[in-house]
Amino acid sequence: MMKNNGVGLYVHIPFCVRKCNYCDFCSFSDFDKAERNAYLSRLKEEIESYTTEPKIRVDTIFFGGGTPSTLTPGELLSVTDSIKKTFLISSDCEFSLEMNPGTVTREFLSACREAGVNRVSIGLQSIHDNEQKILGRIHNTNDFLQTVEWVKEAGINNFNVDLMYGIPEQTTESFAATLDTVLRLSPTHISAYSLIVEEGTPFYRMRNSLALPSEDEELEMVKTLEEKLSLCDYTHYEISNYAKPGFVCRHNLKYWDYSKYIGVGLCASSFDGENRYMNTDDRKDYISLGAAATRSVETIPLSMRAYEYAMLGLRTSFGISLSDYRLRFGKNFADGKEEKLSAMEKAGYLVWTEDNLKLTEKGFYVSNEILTQIL
Amino acid sequence: MLDKQKNIRNFSIIAHIDHGKSTLADRILEKTQTVDKRDMEEQLLDNMDLERERGITIKARAVKLNYTSKNGEEYEYNLIDTPGHVDFGYEVSRSLKACEGALLVVDATQGVEAQTLANAYLAIDNDLEILPVINKIDLASADVEKTRNEIEDIIGIPASECPAVSAKCGLNIEDVLEKIITDIPAPKGDVHAPLKALIFDSHYDSYLGVVVYIRVFDGTVKAGDKIRLMSTGALFDIVEVGTMEPFGLQKSDSLSAGEVGYITASIKTVGETRVGDTVTLAEGGAVEALPGFREVHPMVYAGIYPADGARYGDLRDALEKLQLNDASLVFEPETSIALGFGFRCGFLGLLHMEIIEERLEREFNLDLITTAPSVIYKVEMKNGETLMIDNPSKFPSPDEIGTSYEPMMKATVITPTEYVGGIMDLCQDRRGTFIDMKYIDTTRVELHYELPLNEIIYDFFDALKSRSKGYASLDYEMKGYVPSKLCKLDFLLNGEVVDALSFIVFEERAYARARKIAEKLKDNIPRQLFEIPVQAAIGSKVIARETVKAMRKDVLAKCYGGDITRKKKLLEKQKEGKKKMRKLGSVEVTPEAFMAVLKLDDEK
Repeated sequence: MMKNNGVGLYVHIPFCVRKCNYCDFCSFSDFDKAERNAYLSRLKEEIESYTTEPKIRVDTIFFGGGTPSTLTPGELLSVTDSIKKTFLISSDCEFSLEMNPGTVTREFLSACREAGVNRVSIGLQSIHDNEQKILGRIHNTNDFLQTVEWVKEAGINNFNVDLMYGIPEQTTESFAATLDTVLRLSPTHISAYSLIVEEGTPFYRMRNSLALPSEDEELEMVKTLEEKLSLCDYTHYEISNYAKPGFVCRHNLKYWDYSKYIGVGLCASSFDGENRYMNTDDRKDYISLGAAATRSVETIPLSMRAYEYAMLGLRTSFGISLSDYRLRFGKNFADGKEEKLSAMEKAGYLVWTEDNLKLTEKGFYVSNEILTQIL
Repeated sequence: MLDKQKNIRNFSIIAHIDHGKSTLADRILEKTQTVDKRDMEEQLLDNMDLERERGITIKARAVKLNYTSKNGEEYEYNLIDTPGHVDFGYEVSRSLKACEGALLVVDATQGVEAQTLANAYLAIDNDLEILPVINKIDLASADVEKTRNEIEDIIGIPASECPAVSAKCGLNIEDVLEKIITDIPAPKGDVHAPLKALIFDSHYDSYLGVVVYIRVFDGTVKAGDKIRLMSTGALFDIVEVGTMEPFGLQKSDSLSAGEVGYITASIKTVGETRVGDTVTLAEGGAVEALPGFREVHPMVYAGIYPADGARYGDLRDALEKLQLNDASLVFEPETSIALGFGFRCGFLGLLHMEIIEERLEREFNLDLITTAPSVIYKVEMKNGETLMIDNPSKFPSPDEIGTSYEPMMKATVITPTEYVGGIMDLCQDRRGTFIDMKYIDTTRVELHYELPLNEIIYDFFDALKSRSKGYASLDYEMKGYVPSKLCKLDFLLNGEVVDALSFIVFEERAYARARKIAEKLKDNIPRQLFEIPVQAAIGSKVIARETVKAMRKDVLAKCYGGDITRKKKLLEKQKEGKKKMRKLGSVEVTPEAFMAVLKLDDEK
């Protein structure tokens, strides 16, 4: 497994042009100019609160949201200036930024380059107008193609495309068409999420009238996804993530291998190996009081850390190192679970070797069931 | 003394459902000033919540009313309510026996309907005088004349002068009260003859012990008398006698011929007083009991288990409390490998079983798992021993069995002629043996069949009703045990027998049933990581097989990196859900799935 020595930095940009119908993330479409400015200055204040001597070394940065591409070039650069002032940025730092087609300009991409962004993640979901419309997204396929063109023009060849399956009205054929369009552009990374109707979203209120694909249809889509992506040399390295060789998302990997990370902005969380810090999700509080005054902290007991370590590690195709587990938590993961693990291995859900336990492709799709049984 | 009887009228009210029986009872209570209108709770007679919701009367109740007639005479009316389902047929007949007449309520907008007819015949069979009451005349669609004609033509009783009322509006209720005097006969008992009183109901009171409801036919009974219950010979000393007033029991000096009232005698359980039994004096008592007494035995047995094993003690306490008031409920502890500790319970029929289940869940807040209902089979073993089997787990292995027997009933179905064909098909389908068919008149037929009880207990009554648009009535009594090829059907999940799913079945039906239930298991067992073979077997012979396929997808894909807390919560929730699961061997099943499998009501 890849090892990172620096810390990961997550920056939350909660602005959106409009909120998608399935979205239950911490994002808003109604920040006015003044509130937006106030937010960004609190954000920079929070970043700068990490100033230490010597500086903390950061080797992955991730701008997520919301829609970070709704920042103006000036806003983006002022935030990244803060980051550069505060942290020691590794020369090989992976710097990702999420963007939605329809919000991206060439100017913004130049600013990205200037800021050091070397990886972008484009939220496409689908190339079909009807599916986009149901999801409540603002762009069309041309916007997407344009965005990719500009991204490449800006010299950023490492990019991810977010896709979704299980969308109302979606069929295996329409999903395959989306995949084909995307694969022609050769992204280095593809994330494919299964649509979940979450409480509190417009979809939840419409849930009885949504023409959601059946479980069998969704499985067909997954099969199509697997086939097409493996043909094009993508590795399924995490439940929802696929990458060309050498292009796994190092930042996200930090969450899964239980590394330390710092999160700044509304709703962001940080982890120092023992404590989890949660920023407030109340934008008024964040803006009026600042991050430090509104942050909560939870100390994770050793046994819970062991649980989380395995829960997260088993999301990836690398799985967990059993010797690392023993070293960290002072116990053997497999103790008392030998029979279950053997049965699951025999059925092809996981691979269990001397030092490694990992789920197989087949295991990924029933991971919740497996985890509830072995954790 | 004879004068007193002259001014007593004992009657019940019978009707098709929703024709207004309870409302009329309310109005009568009100008009006789027994109940103040503002104090009145709607439908006072049905005082169990469950009864109100189901709109049926589960236990008989009685109330005494005082009425001053238009010519100034004082009358005592005893209104005796009756339960309304085939499971309680015997109790109904005892309640009716306590009366001289019945008010037959007919909805003026609907006319005579299925139960109107069935109830009317039941009353006629019990020698009651029928007073028709046409109800709901306030409604625009009411057709009083047509309804009168229907009563005369279809039931064959005069109705030209019967009262036409609106119970809802309280219209013409006095007519009913006056008609009761003229049309329902006064009791004609002999006050000086030895005591003969009919027990038609009882209930348990924590202060008084068992309160026994009686109708005195001959003689007199008072506090201090030593009484004898004629079926058992049990002796008791009367502590108190009295009458049932709308708001409670009212002590009195004595009860004599013609009167309806209660007695208490430090009786500990309702089981000691049997409905239909005759009460007489220990000394100088009657020689002959009132006719028609029948011992009531449970016909249907099922295992009842708490969904949460820790509540076994609560379930026992709850059953004991219900039994205080329900002599027909019996239970004893049993254990199941799949379900843990529970009770094997005996019921009069399926409705009785459902009512008990519902009361346990509602009044005692218990979650239950109930196994498939079964009748009592008899097995003569090759070694000469005879076994009575009320639990499939006690069924011996096929090679030990000499002859097996099942309970056979003599069933009588009364139906309008147009439904005869459908009903005959139904009876044949349920392994019935045709005995004969008699025309009661040009429109009605009485069918006699011998039907295995185990066919009757599974929704036979419902099937009968649906094939006759509700007009056919069913009555059955035990004929005895007849030889029958029986076998025990076991179900295996993952190769292990799940005892709680086993049942005894007529051999020829075994294959069809096995297939159906295996299919049901397949559909109701949630998919798990591994394939689960579902097998049905007789002994070691597998006769049906299905497979619960392995689960293919449960992943929560959209859970972005940092959101660990949420992912954790979801897993915890899923784990919580697992705790509620029932382990059937190595297979986990939700209690709901278990219930779905046990419900056999879709046998059609």
